[in-house]
Amino acid sequence: MADYQLIIIGGGLSGLAAGIRSARFGQKTLIVEQHSLPGGLNSYYYRQGYLLETGLHAMTNFAAQGNKHAPLNRLFRQLKLSRKKFITHEQLGSEVIFPQTSLRFSNDFTLLCEEIACQFPASIDQFRAMAAEIDAYNPFAEVPWQSARNFLHDRLADPLLEDMLLLPLMVYGNAEEYDMDLGQFAIMFRAVFLEGFFRPQGTIKDLIDMLLEQYSQFEGEIRFRTPVAEILKKENKVQGIRLENGEEITANAVLSTVGIPGTAKLSGWELDIDRYIGRMTFMESISMLPEPQLPPELSGRTILFYSLNDELKYHCPASALDPSWGVICFPDNFQDLATEDKTATQVRVTNAANYSLWQQAAVDKEQYRQLKEKCGQQSAAAVSQILGPYNQDAVFQDSFTPMTIERFTEKRGGAVYGSPIKIKSGRTPFENLFIAGTDQGYLGIVGAMLSGVTVVNQHLLG
Amino acid sequence: MTRDEIRDIILEIIEDIDEDAEFDDLDADQPLRDQLDLDSMDFLDIVMELRKRYKLQIPEEDYPELATLTSCVNYLEPKLQDV
Ligand SMILES: Cc1cc2nc3c(=O)[nH]c(=O)nc-3n(C[C@H](O)[C@H](O)[C@H](O)COP(=O)(O)OP(=O)(O)OC[C@H]3O[C@@H](n4cnc5c(N)ncnc54)[C@H](O)[C@@H]3O)c2cc1C
Repeated sequence: MADYQLIIIGGGLSGLAAGIRSARFGQKTLIVEQHSLPGGLNSYYYRQGYLLETGLHAMTNFAAQGNKHAPLNRLFRQLKLSRKKFITHEQLGSEVIFPQTSLRFSNDFTLLCEEIACQFPASIDQFRAMAAEIDAYNPFAEVPWQSARNFLHDRLADPLLEDMLLLPLMVYGNAEEYDMDLGQFAIMFRAVFLEGFFRPQGTIKDLIDMLLEQYSQFEGEIRFRTPVAEILKKENKVQGIRLENGEEITANAVLSTVGIPGTAKLSGWELDIDRYIGRMTFMESISMLPEPQLPPELSGRTILFYSLNDELKYHCPASALDPSWGVICFPDNFQDLATEDKTATQVRVTNAANYSLWQQAAVDKEQYRQLKEKCGQQSAAAVSQILGPYNQDAVFQDSFTPMTIERFTEKRGGAVYGSPIKIKSGRTPFENLFIAGTDQGYLGIVGAMLSGVTVVNQHLLG
Repeated sequence: MTRDEIRDIILEIIEDIDEDAEFDDLDADQPLRDQLDLDSMDFLDIVMELRKRYKLQIPEEDYPELATLTSCVNYLEPKLQDV
């Protein structure tokens, strides 16, 4: 008999959700995570007395408690977690800012409709019809790739509006450059515009602790600081894993959440690996501001999606950083957040980056540090065009780059959203090896957890 | 197990799956799914829970037998008689 019924590689959000689902019905389950902390891309660390979240801007897919069909609430039921006890803080409101115009949106879809009616009166009827079409669309059907840009253009015929709608959806969940698969677009449109942003109470650590607690309640096992070196196989079947320290553990099935390239490397799965390495990667700069002076019309916003060009440049930039468009997030600006004991306001800025150029610089510590500093300044200069000189008296700044993302998550090329080609079925050429998480096609925090749940339900409750 | 006991087990499992479940107006002869607003993922959980508790294997082609509370009891009665 094998040591475990299921081994899950990776203790990120998809791995933890998959683990709970598997252990819930009594399967002997083991999660192996290379780092000392769980959470993967969305984890946390401590710096100068602050608990900083590595990734969290906002969770998507907001749904009020009681709305049974909403993905968030279905997820909670599947994990047997109480949605009643899970306290959420909705966004205050966000905005897409382009040179000529801007669109505000919130968790109430009517605001976006009103804004479009005002700024793009000729397109509002088509926009409403399109939203209804997306709401009825099944994004999980395994159909060939379709262009979201063509879909949008056929319906709206207004390139500026099309790009303004694409910016938040692409930057929060598109592994491809330039265009986006229609199914992915539909998932993101619902997650962001129809459902909306929120934060869990506390920090991402509380959410992760809640998942870990549930997993151990069901007697699931997890091992940290346990990198997997190889997925062991015999012909077409997987036998288990070999750890970096040489230990071998057997299992009836293995679920990998480390992406397609990572899984291929561990298992000897032969594929044209370059096609599965995404080119969209980002740099994120975090500043703590004691007394931020923001333009009054923008204060109280949760997330700003900006482009200094009329056209959205969603592709890998030719230089190390493209500050001409990006995301500005204020993680303190959610409803009913306690602010009394806050000594400073956090601002997080995300910009597209070029992995190869960062990789070249990283061979030399000093060169890498200089590039980080230079890009941080470029980003701040661009953001100042929107916010004014916002970070002059920052008490603390930190940033992470494509190299940081790669180092911490093994995502090749620092590709946050993984492979531009997804494997929606979760299958691999090996009959009892499956993938979940980013490269299965669901993105973001809620998406990653749903992916873990779905793949276990489909293939691993046997 | 008696029919009443089986009925209680089913309701208990549903309550366990869905913290919002309300049984006050439940009609035992009408589909559970519609009345309780459950989806196929929740349904799978009822099957999995029965399996975990009573080692019952319910093949997929029998899922329609679990549509209403009465049909659940009818279907499970012979299977759980020795439990
Ligand atoms: C900067 C940034 C900001 C983000 N902001 C948001 C946000 O605001 N909202 C949102 O919804 N989403 C956000 N995301 C996206 C979100 O974090 C991810 O989509 C999601 O967490 C992916 O989860 P995952 O489980 O698929 O992958 P991962 O989190 O990458 O998990 C994979 C795990 O596998 C482990 N692993 C890899 N190789 C091995 C090995 N050989 N052996 C053992 N373990 C291994 C890794 O250490 C990692 O823990 C952000 C991401 C980043 C990088």
